[in-house]
Amino acid sequence: MTRLRRIDAVTTEFAEAAERHLDDVHAFLVYLTGDRTVAEDLTAETFARALERWRRFDPSRGSVRAWLCQLARSTALDHFRADERRRRREGRFAAAEPREGDGPVFGEGLSPELEHALARLSAAEREVVALRVVLELEGDVAARVLGISATACSTRLSRALQKLEKEVSAGVAA
Amino acid sequence: MSPLELVGDFDHITEQLRASKPVASPALRERVAGLRPAEPRWTFRLPSRRLVLALAAVALLASFVAAGVTGLGGSKQTTLAGSRPGFHPTIAPRAGSATGGAAGVERALQPATPSAMSTVAPATGRIQRYDATLRLRVHDVDGLSQATQRAINLTRGLGGYVGSIDYATSGGNRGGAMLVLRVPVGKIQAELDGLTDLGTILQQRTGILDVTRRVDREAKQIAELERELAQASPQDAPAIRAHLATLRAKHARLLRSARLARIVVGLTTPPKQAAVPPSRFDRTLDDAGSVLVRELEILIYALVVAGPLLLLGAAGVATARAARRRSDRRLLERA
Repeated sequence: MTRLRRIDAVTTEFAEAAERHLDDVHAFLVYLTGDRTVAEDLTAETFARALERWRRFDPSRGSVRAWLCQLARSTALDHFRADERRRRREGRFAAAEPREGDGPVFGEGLSPELEHALARLSAAEREVVALRVVLELEGDVAARVLGISATACSTRLSRALQKLEKEVSAGVAA
Repeated sequence: MSPLELVGDFDHITEQLRASKPVASPALRERVAGLRPAEPRWTFRLPSRRLVLALAAVALLASFVAAGVTGLGGSKQTTLAGSRPGFHPTIAPRAGSATGGAAGVERALQPATPSAMSTVAPATGRIQRYDATLRLRVHDVDGLSQATQRAINLTRGLGGYVGSIDYATSGGNRGGAMLVLRVPVGKIQAELDGLTDLGTILQQRTGILDVTRRVDREAKQIAELERELAQASPQDAPAIRAHLATLRAKHARLLRSARLARIVVGLTTPPKQAAVPPSRFDRTLDDAGSVLVRELEILIYALVVAGPLLLLGAAGVATARAARRRSDRRLLERA
């Protein structure tokens, strides 16, 4: 009986956290993968992992959002590794390109130039943009999620934004 | 340029990105909402930092408690063992030897007393052999030398003589002397009084053997032999004369021994001072300290033995993490 109550409590807490942070995690994964379908699958996978490890979450070490983003990144990396192994096995070495023809990937309302520019960024650049710009995480929190120093995080963000600017300008000019 | 300033420079881009943030589809919401916790299964988890700190604190406390308990226990045992610091087995004098089994013998064996020696004075009108033993303690080697000299002078001053002296010192601060003194029986009391002033009495013994009857018997035998010699034939006379000479010599020895008392004086310096035993608190501290030192030794030994392995392990983990991070970075750059 106590065990069932505990499970119910965990489920309730987790459900509240999932409701609050689902869009953030999903947005982060969309930026990271550049693929909405894959991002949806990875989001579900991330929350499944989060539910498994919910009891291990330590609020003193960071916010739920940052922890979920770390889990999401780890899930995405696992996906990339598995995908790379699969492509290597199948002899397809070409990098997967975002499916631009299926409509906007990175969000409704983005200009085609910005959508294209985002697609041309690497996943490493898109993830820092997602964390710092889209999710508006603090620099040190974003750096912790990415497993790098705050300085490296700033540098990466700077390069990514400059690249975006350049790509957007080039797109507009064309 | 700070990241915030940098983001500010790209307002037109960042505003658009924020405004167009991807939103989870209703299908995804349902999928996540439908997640249910799986049956809990046992998995190995590294202990949390708090738990590790708590365990370390408990281990430290336990080591201190163990040291304290061992220290207290050790000091108790030491107290029990050392509760008789002044214990010296005493050999009680045998009743037979103290009182004497033979008729006419008096013996007194007395423990050390700071008082002057009480003596059994020889009886007047009787012929008695008197002997005494006296053990005295003097302060130091100088005192030993002076006491020995004074004992000799005292004896000679009373008309006696020194039968033998055995004087020895060791290490310059300890020593002993054994004197066998012969003094006229009439001066025995003065001799003993003088000797007891030389130091602290540790032991004394006096004994008197009454030989009056033996002297009388020998005197009668001599008188009889003199009578026999006066009436003896020339053939028998030499044998009687020889017997008479032997008897007279024996008689003379007996009378001489009764005339001079024999006093054996033992002089000694105090025994080496035993070191002052440490207090229980000091012993507890010492024991606890030694236990802590032992624990520290074990810890250092464990670190020395396991240290290289731990370092190798830590280096391996760090290398693996760095490699993983590099691999992740390449993966993300390619993706």
